[in-house]
Amino acid sequence: MIQAASGLGATITCERVGLTYSGKTGTPVQALQDVTVRIARGKVTAIIGPSGCGKSTLLLIVRGLLRPSAGRVQFLDEAGRPTAVPRMATVWQSFNLFPWRTVIDNVAFGLELKGINRDERRDKATHALTRVDLSGFERKYPRQLSGGMRQRVGLARALVMEPEVLLLDEPFGALDAQTRLVLQEQLASVVERAGTTAILVTHSIEEAILLADTVVVMTARPGRIAAEIAIELPRPRSLATTHLSGYRAAFDQIYNLLRDEVVKAMVAEAGTV
Amino acid sequence: MRNSHDILSFDSEVDHQNAGIWRRMSEPHVLAWIAVALVLLFWEGVVFALDLNPIYLPRPTGILLALGTMLSSGGLVVDLAITLGRIFGGFAIALVLGTALGVWMATSERANAVADNFIAALYPLPKVTLIPLLIIWLGTGGPFMLTISALGAFFPIVISTVLGIRQCDPGMILAARDLGASRRHIVRMVLLPSAVPSIFAGVRLGLGVSIILVVAAEMVVGKVGLGARLYLAGQVLETEQVFAVLIVLALLGIIITKLQDAIDRRLSKWQTS
Repeated sequence: MIQAASGLGATITCERVGLTYSGKTGTPVQALQDVTVRIARGKVTAIIGPSGCGKSTLLLIVRGLLRPSAGRVQFLDEAGRPTAVPRMATVWQSFNLFPWRTVIDNVAFGLELKGINRDERRDKATHALTRVDLSGFERKYPRQLSGGMRQRVGLARALVMEPEVLLLDEPFGALDAQTRLVLQEQLASVVERAGTTAILVTHSIEEAILLADTVVVMTARPGRIAAEIAIELPRPRSLATTHLSGYRAAFDQIYNLLRDEVVKAMVAEAGTV
Repeated sequence: MRNSHDILSFDSEVDHQNAGIWRRMSEPHVLAWIAVALVLLFWEGVVFALDLNPIYLPRPTGILLALGTMLSSGGLVVDLAITLGRIFGGFAIALVLGTALGVWMATSERANAVADNFIAALYPLPKVTLIPLLIIWLGTGGPFMLTISALGAFFPIVISTVLGIRQCDPGMILAARDLGASRRHIVRMVLLPSAVPSIFAGVRLGLGVSIILVVAAEMVVGKVGLGARLYLAGQVLETEQVFAVLIVLALLGIIITKLQDAIDRRLSKWQTS
């Protein structure tokens, strides 16, 4: 369904990354504190945590779209030496498609920026749309598609860039439960075949276990790393994976870590009102 | 097309009882033209019956004859072309400069701060009040006409551009940056297209003001153009010619409005609301 890009990307390390910004009233808000985490090359790492813990913010920092106020992000090659920033592409929770562009022109947006000529753009974008089962929808506008289809356009738009690192920011958060299940399975198979490095930000334990090799659990704000859990369930994974005993064990372990943090987050949120 | 009229209307029930010609005549767009014809007929009849002096109220048939003569041998086509040139020439200048300033204001806090006071002072000022000053500076020729036309459209376009760009979803900007967009790319390929519906709302307002200003300026100082024609005809009590020019101006309004509606329909293909 998708070929691996030229490399498997890089191992990404965050060292004591912190982010403080000034809130509405001018008081500094600490979104992230001392986040130290290693995202293994060629693996899928899920980041899970209570809402507002800064997990999406961490993704923006890794992507280089947001400058951390403390710490640093490094990219390492096989031998652990610092290396150039790999090609990265993001799939967003709210899709962030361009509504005035047709489906195919949305997918080709990044190629257009790179100055690739029209014919090649069309070929690559058409191919990417086939990969996410959206052939025949090239000339539609995003508003004419369902939420699940829009997110597949978002996925195609990222895949067409042949990323070495795929960043997934709660990609199914805005979708209904059934669509979500189907797309999770599809994404699991895409990621398995691609073998690229991927970071998945999610608040769904099930999604994290189905897709990831490692699940990183974050604390309530300010977000820190609470635990890293290796998921050693067999691949390919699907809905059937959820019936394995290993799945239950991992689910309970993550749930117990998260529950306390979610309660903390709720208390903190109530306190700010 | 389904709209609130269809839902509110009870006419469709009556339609089933009426047959043939009556049914066709009660269709809204047919009815609209029948009403126009009836008013003209009534007008013609009243003038004929009361034997009114055509200086006060000419007959519709007399007006049509005058219009025909003015078009074929009276140079009305030239006047129309000159007026259109002034309106759209000035409007084009306003569109280019207005969008450029709007983009600059929306993307630079400093530019916004500097321009804001001037716009707040000049926007609500009735632009006809600038006619004397502009005549002192520019005379009454082409540059004056283009300036007054541009001034009318400029402010609505600036303001709607600023509003449109500020409403752009920040998620789309992140998505564009993720795909490799530079600041220039973002302005040209994200901010501007996303603001097009809003800019177009400003264009509608602005073009209306340009038309008013050009015709008014022509009435005051013009030697050629529809406004000048109108004023001169009034001076010599050629009431039929006055009406003829009014008809041309009204038709111009209809054509421009219909064109704008067509553009609106095109835009609504991708707009979410």
